[in-house]
Amino acid sequence: MRLWGKIENFLALTGRKVIAFFSGYIEFQHYLKSIFNSFKSLKYLRLRSLYSTVLLQTKYTGLDAVFLISVVALMLGATVIIQASQKFPKFGIDSFIGDLLVLIIIREIGPLATAMIVTSRSGSAISAEIATQKQNHEIRSLELLGIDTKLYIVFPRIIASILSIISLVILFDVVALAGGYLISRLFIFIPPQQFLATIINAFSFEDLLITFLKSLMYGILIPLICCYYGFRPSTAFQIPIYVSRAVVRTLLSVFIVNALISFLFYL
Amino acid sequence: MENSFLSVRNMSYMLDIHSTLRGITFDLKQGENIIFFGLENSGIDKICPFISCAIDDFEGEVFFKGHDVKNASYYERNIIRKDMVYLQRGYGLITNMTVYENIALPLKYHSNMTSDEIDFRVNQLIDEMEIDLSRDMRPVDIYQSERLKTAFARAIVLNPDLLLAEHPLEAQCVLNVMSVMRSLKKWADSPLKSVIIVAYNPAVFSDIANRFIMLYRGEVVFDGTREEFLSTTNEYVVQYMTFSPKGPMLV
Repeated sequence: MRLWGKIENFLALTGRKVIAFFSGYIEFQHYLKSIFNSFKSLKYLRLRSLYSTVLLQTKYTGLDAVFLISVVALMLGATVIIQASQKFPKFGIDSFIGDLLVLIIIREIGPLATAMIVTSRSGSAISAEIATQKQNHEIRSLELLGIDTKLYIVFPRIIASILSIISLVILFDVVALAGGYLISRLFIFIPPQQFLATIINAFSFEDLLITFLKSLMYGILIPLICCYYGFRPSTAFQIPIYVSRAVVRTLLSVFIVNALISFLFYL
Repeated sequence: MENSFLSVRNMSYMLDIHSTLRGITFDLKQGENIIFFGLENSGIDKICPFISCAIDDFEGEVFFKGHDVKNASYYERNIIRKDMVYLQRGYGLITNMTVYENIALPLKYHSNMTSDEIDFRVNQLIDEMEIDLSRDMRPVDIYQSERLKTAFARAIVLNPDLLLAEHPLEAQCVLNVMSVMRSLKKWADSPLKSVIIVAYNPAVFSDIANRFIMLYRGEVVFDGTREEFLSTTNEYVVQYMTFSPKGPMLV
């Protein structure tokens, strides 16, 4: 009897989770549809009303993250370079260091680490800001002024996020490679010409294109998901729940998109 | 009714015994000003959200300048709301914008005005509302009266035809908001502008409104002109205005 009760509870819990997943999926679809429909409002909109939001969000997401991105890039770059230079010569494949760096830093770690930092810094801020604005009736107030909130709130954040992430990924790659090389010189010596030559040889136009594609996808995904969860809370009590959910699900989506793009282009 | 300025037909809503509206019907002519008053659960708090369709799960119809507001699409409503502005309870000022930016927002979003023209119009309203000292402050840093003045200036900056004001003087010292009252009076005196005010104290607005409607349990129990309101023997109005526990209303 007790066993049957446990099975029943398990089934009920699983059922609830499945229903919650599908209803969440449908709600997210409605949200996406409303974003696309908002483009209709573009003809009524004066773009100047979005400039200040785009500039402010680009500052918060991009400019203010420069220091953090540089430090993380430096540490990760140095770690990869030190590991690669310590192990590779033993196998006699030190000429592949460039390939490895392009493979790990430019193709994968650069966009992924940048997206993770942007999600934890700006994604959470976006969700919390929108949720608080909703609680203060500011979102309703915008709608009562005839302002399309999806266009006014989500659209500038997507533009700012795309600009910021592309710039930050470039910064990350440059700092990780150059700075990493300089730090690694404290422990090992690789002639700079050889280091540069191996990087240039390993780097292709395809890498550039895929890095750009990943940055673009993250630039759209991060604000889109975080704004969605920002609009969700109906009480102040729910704000931390949805902010946490926004960060976790955005990170999950970033990893999935990263893996999908890598599968599509490199397999 | 599609051709009248504002026409509300059979507006009904039932959430529970305390939150209800029963077949509210009225027409508003251009230049006419109405005040809705009544007890807390009388249904007056639903009037502005329903007319503006900020909440649209009610029965009935709302026509504004010939437009069916309830059945309008999201985008059509956004256009209608340029002419029908709703000054909501609590004001809903944007907290990360200054007083100036809050007032300028509708102009930047909707109008074709140049930056200089916007600047001129916003400064004009800032002077009129006497909030020059707080123009660069955010809503959290200013007094309650200044919040009302900012929200009022933002509401009228586009020069709309209809203003819906929901408890505008709630938690306000009337002396501190005289500039709003002057502006509201000027607005109400214009033959082209109308205002619907929802308030608990109709006497404060007796100079502004020319029609008084009292609701009780979601129904109209009094509907009359200013003169009728001031001299009425309607037992609901008498009980309400004398704050008496005795009368037809159960308080």
